[in-house]
Amino acid sequence: MAEDSTLVAQALKGDRKAFEMIVRKYEQPMTNYLSRMTGEREAALDFTQEVFIKVYCSLGSYRPAYKFSTWLFKIASNHLIDHWRKKKLPTLSLDQPVDDDEGSLTPQVPDPGPSVARKFELAEIRQKIERALGFLPTALRELFVLRHVNEFSYEEIADIKSLPVGTVKNRVFQAKEMLRKRMEGL
Amino acid sequence: MRDDCRSAESFYLYLEGELGPSERRGLEAHLETCPSCRGVLAERRLLYEAFTSLPPFEVPPNFALSVMDRLPEPAAAGPRWLAALASGLTALVVGLLGFYLLTGESLPDVLVAVGRSFSSGFGRLLPLFAKLLKVGGLLLDVASGFVTMLGKGLVALLSALGPEGIGLILGLGLLMSLLFFFGAKRLLSLGEKS
Repeated sequence: MAEDSTLVAQALKGDRKAFEMIVRKYEQPMTNYLSRMTGEREAALDFTQEVFIKVYCSLGSYRPAYKFSTWLFKIASNHLIDHWRKKKLPTLSLDQPVDDDEGSLTPQVPDPGPSVARKFELAEIRQKIERALGFLPTALRELFVLRHVNEFSYEEIADIKSLPVGTVKNRVFQAKEMLRKRMEGL
Repeated sequence: MRDDCRSAESFYLYLEGELGPSERRGLEAHLETCPSCRGVLAERRLLYEAFTSLPPFEVPPNFALSVMDRLPEPAAAGPRWLAALASGLTALVVGLLGFYLLTGESLPDVLVAVGRSFSSGFGRLLPLFAKLLKVGGLLLDVASGFVTMLGKGLVALLSALGPEGIGLILGLGLLMSLLFFFGAKRLLSLGEKS
């Protein structure tokens, strides 16, 4: 498959087939991301369409010096934020401390308690993770999904979210531990 | 649990290959002697495997086509050079119009002045160019590093500005050149006509 920057250049010249190739390449990772963020199948597909249309209209502002996938997911992330802001849904600022029902999350030492993971087979754990994801604050859920579903590096996520790499690492860790705690109750 | 037991975050970073070589060796050495941490690692390993193997979302087979059907007309993504040219010409026209309104001088006068200034200036500068060529080799050696650095900076700047920005700067640059030569005409032949 052609390089992203080549496809973008062709699309900018009016080659719609080139943009279709971009859509085909990224429709799966984009819906993987948006489905976990919205929690609804139809909404995820609608959002994915809207993001690709936004990307098409903004192609002129893309600079090949940046990685295309990072730029694409930055647009998707901003699109979600705009949507939530319009609907006035509660979002969590990354500057606020993250607490769950059981208090502040600072699990920095090995937990000698009963193992959650050993109780379940991998498939069952995945189902629980999907359900537990819905309980995560959106800011943490997004970082977790970008890292473990979309497999972006911590540096790429830092670019997408305009955050320091250390903050991203810490928040992804918090998301994982919060998921682990939630799974205990499912 | 011992004092030197590692944090859960370290285990995740270890599983992801994000630990540095010395941190990794230190953790592995600790694991050999700490059953508690081995248990924690085994649990996090299973979770990590589940985290990284979540099933993909099912995308309808005609999804890409439905996106393509909803795209706006191609005109929305028009040629970029046209925008650059348009912004450059606009800057030039607006500048010349403003200049005419402020000074009352006509465009033909300005262009004549530019032409004469070029020819006169070239004749004056020719001996200087000849001398510069003699020491050019030396100057090139000294300046090559600086020029390379300047080039990289310029490329980065142009990339950041985009075609519209470049067009705008070129248009303004041309306008400034015209103004400079129009000022110079008073020192040269055109000023004699009055």
